[in-house]
Amino acid sequence: MKLTNILDIEGLTFRYPEAPKEAVSHFDLHVPEGEIVVLAGPSGCGKSTLLRTVNGLIPHMYSGDYSGEVKVAGASVKGTDMRDLSQRVGFLFQNPENQIFMFTVERDVAFGLENIGVPREEMRGRVDEALRLLGIASLAQRAPHELSDGQKQRVALAGVLAMRPRLVILDEPTSLLDPKTAGDLVALVAGLRKELGTTFVVVEHRIDLLVKVADRLVVMSEGKKVLEGTPRDVLFGEEAESYGVATPSVTKLQKMLAHDGLATGGALLSPAELARELEERQR
Amino acid sequence: MIEFQDVTFVHQNGVKALDGVTLKIESGETVALVGENGAGKTTLVKHVTGLLKPASGRVLVDGQDTKATSTARLSRKVGVAFQNPDHQLFSESVEEEMSFALRNFGFPPEVVRNRVAWGLELFGLEEYRKSSPLVLSGGEKKRLTLACILAWDPDVVILDEPTVGQDSLQKERLAGTIKLLKSAEKTVVVVSHDIEFLWPIQPRVVVMKAGKVVGDGPAPRIMQDEALLASARVAQPQLVEFHRSLSSKPLEPFADALEARRWVEGAFRP
Amino acid sequence: MMWLSGGFVFRRGDSVYHRLDPRVKLLISALMFVTTLLVRSVYELLIVIAFMVAVAAVATVLRRVGRTMALTASFSAIIFLINLAFTRNLESSFLYAIRFVAIVVSTSLFFITTSPDELEQVMKTFRLPRDVVFAFVTAVRFIPVMMLDTIQIMDAQKSRGLELEKGNVFRRVRNMIPVLIPLVVNSVVRSGELAEAMESRAYGAVPRPTSLVQYRASFRDRAVAVAAVAIFAVAAYSFYYVLPVQFP
Ligand SMILES: Nc1ncnc2c1ncn2[C@@H]1O[C@H](COP(=O)(O)OP(=O)(O)OP(=O)(O)O)[C@@H](O)[C@H]1O
Ligand SMILES: Nc1ncnc2c1ncn2[C@@H]1O[C@H](COP(=O)(O)OP(=O)(O)OP(=O)(O)O)[C@@H](O)[C@H]1O
Ligand SMILES: [Mg+2]
Ligand SMILES: [Mg+2]
Repeated sequence: MKLTNILDIEGLTFRYPEAPKEAVSHFDLHVPEGEIVVLAGPSGCGKSTLLRTVNGLIPHMYSGDYSGEVKVAGASVKGTDMRDLSQRVGFLFQNPENQIFMFTVERDVAFGLENIGVPREEMRGRVDEALRLLGIASLAQRAPHELSDGQKQRVALAGVLAMRPRLVILDEPTSLLDPKTAGDLVALVAGLRKELGTTFVVVEHRIDLLVKVADRLVVMSEGKKVLEGTPRDVLFGEEAESYGVATPSVTKLQKMLAHDGLATGGALLSPAELARELEERQR
Repeated sequence: MIEFQDVTFVHQNGVKALDGVTLKIESGETVALVGENGAGKTTLVKHVTGLLKPASGRVLVDGQDTKATSTARLSRKVGVAFQNPDHQLFSESVEEEMSFALRNFGFPPEVVRNRVAWGLELFGLEEYRKSSPLVLSGGEKKRLTLACILAWDPDVVILDEPTVGQDSLQKERLAGTIKLLKSAEKTVVVVSHDIEFLWPIQPRVVVMKAGKVVGDGPAPRIMQDEALLASARVAQPQLVEFHRSLSSKPLEPFADALEARRWVEGAFRP
Repeated sequence: MMWLSGGFVFRRGDSVYHRLDPRVKLLISALMFVTTLLVRSVYELLIVIAFMVAVAAVATVLRRVGRTMALTASFSAIIFLINLAFTRNLESSFLYAIRFVAIVVSTSLFFITTSPDELEQVMKTFRLPRDVVFAFVTAVRFIPVMMLDTIQIMDAQKSRGLELEKGNVFRRVRNMIPVLIPLVVNSVVRSGELAEAMESRAYGAVPRPTSLVQYRASFRDRAVAVAAVAIFAVAAYSFYYVLPVQFP
């Protein structure tokens, strides 16, 4: 049986006012519930624009030429109020500084819930749950601006999750983080998908962080979708690199070795796995 | 030559961002400065041109104490491109933006013109010559800030997180530029979290943690020191991890995928 | 700049005073403020200032308040000279100058001990529109962020050979342009990003948003409020009828 889609984008085209060309052009994407989808592509190709059309910032906050259809859980984004959308779709932005509003962590996590008028007792429970999910319960009373970037990004994500969205979109959430902290965030995303069944659409340049957890890799170029498939299929293809998708170096190696007949190309291997496979094959 | 002698620095809010740093960078060296968020890398960089002055200890640039001279003077020798391009772009056009520093340093007009043309070409920004820097994409802005620095041909080039927001093609180009600077015997210091970007350049690696230098040496040695990397929360390059996982292997880890392939071909071809 | 950050930007603290209900802190500051306007002699004013210093000591912000006083005193010197030039009255000029310091300190005491979240609470009790409250609180929250931006912009431009302290007044003003433009651009970008993040978290979804925490004045808060009013009453009474000490 086919799973229902949480996100359907059909023939979406958008042009900012007075822009010379379309930022997103004839774009199609269908995401079944519970997937982690990674969106990649060169800088300026329209990734952030696409994300804005998913939670309704476009067309509700931005004007411009809009055609095609975006549906979240079957409901048209264009026909749904931003306020309702924000309860279905969570948006985590790149810069943690600019998405934290309050002066204590727990109040910031509660921000969205206050806005939709959740009663205090229920709110308390949901805030505590979100803090626990992200492992920041001990920070509840701290001031967010005194935290590290990685911790801030967790606070912001907790605020997004407290709204219990079924779909969460992340726009380069790790670009200011060191690799270990970024890795922690990615592990968290994978854990949440498992625990809550949340769907994630992630824009990320550092593909190496995500190849292990992503179900699908979508590559964009000049507003169009140019490649789509499992990370393995896309990265093993000929074209990915020409679109500026960073193939992790061990994947590059695996690809070359598979081409030479020295390794299999069935699934993406980690450095240790590749080494083991080579040695097992020799025996 | 850049020399830090037991430098300590405390920010206004009481954070001790540098804690007894002693470090010597010879001219012509290529150095990568790595370490987790908040380790003190940017603070260290700001000391080189005297934007910050040590609370104790000394910073010497070509033998001169940064306390005894001005940032403008030091900047003529040491070009620093900071993390966030939006913190410096202000001109009406890309061309103007690039000539700003050149004029500040008193270059004659025809030299300014030549240098600007050279920089625009090197970073593929010619088509934007007359555009406002503010309309460029994030990646383009970043490249423009690098072009601005290289234009006045400083002896030392310091790049703080140059790869943020860059796709892999642009990163490759950037790595090429760094190698070019290396062959021109410039001193290059790259601050970056992007270990995969740094590794093929094979720089000297300086590891920082909580305001201290906790590791310093050639890339292969530092990147194979797992205890050090773990304690400083620095990731290991994938090819080093691959090398480590092999039971019989060459002495040195592979600098890039091609080198690894060549070795595997020899060792595993039946 | 330093005056602003030292004197008006909240920093977390955990004294008895910090833990008071924000409305009580506002009351205390307001009463002190009014008292400084009531007094008619330098002598009285010094008593009021001594009281403020005592409050600052309880709030464990003595150092910060001391620094603010010192910095404000330099403005005060100007006020003093101008006043003296116009009125030729030593005592009244002196009174104006010191009063300025006292006003700044009374206001500063409120701001440096009250977090933006508490400020929001205070503004809500005055039934100000939510947009106004939110804009204000956000502005307060972003003051330190903007100051950091300014430093980073100045550093970046100095690294490109900009010399801020060079030349005559006009030259110096012109030298600020490379700092001001990025500062404005950054603020605009920042507010755009903030607006997107707010929309994405349902800002304005219902006319009456709820609140996670409820500030309720405790017995202690009430007692302190009553005490503050009583002290004020005594002070006002004595300044008017008992104490008016004049300069010889
Ligand atoms: N608010 C806006 N108004 C007008 N044009 C815009 C706006 N935001 C983006 N654009 C333009 O739309 C195009 C796509 O931009 P977008 O930000 O979606 O790219 P991106 O893929 O997210 O890039 P990056 O990787 O650098 O973040 C670019 O040409 C950009 O200049
Ligand atoms: N202007 C400032 N005022 C106060 N504290 C600061 C300032 N700049 C940096 N710090 C603090 O100093 C420490 C070192 O910061 P620094 O920016 O040098 O780290 P970094 O290694 O560059 O980190 P990142 O990788 O995140 O850029 C951190 O704890 C930071 O919070
Ligand atoms: Mg983007
Ligand atoms: Mg830094």
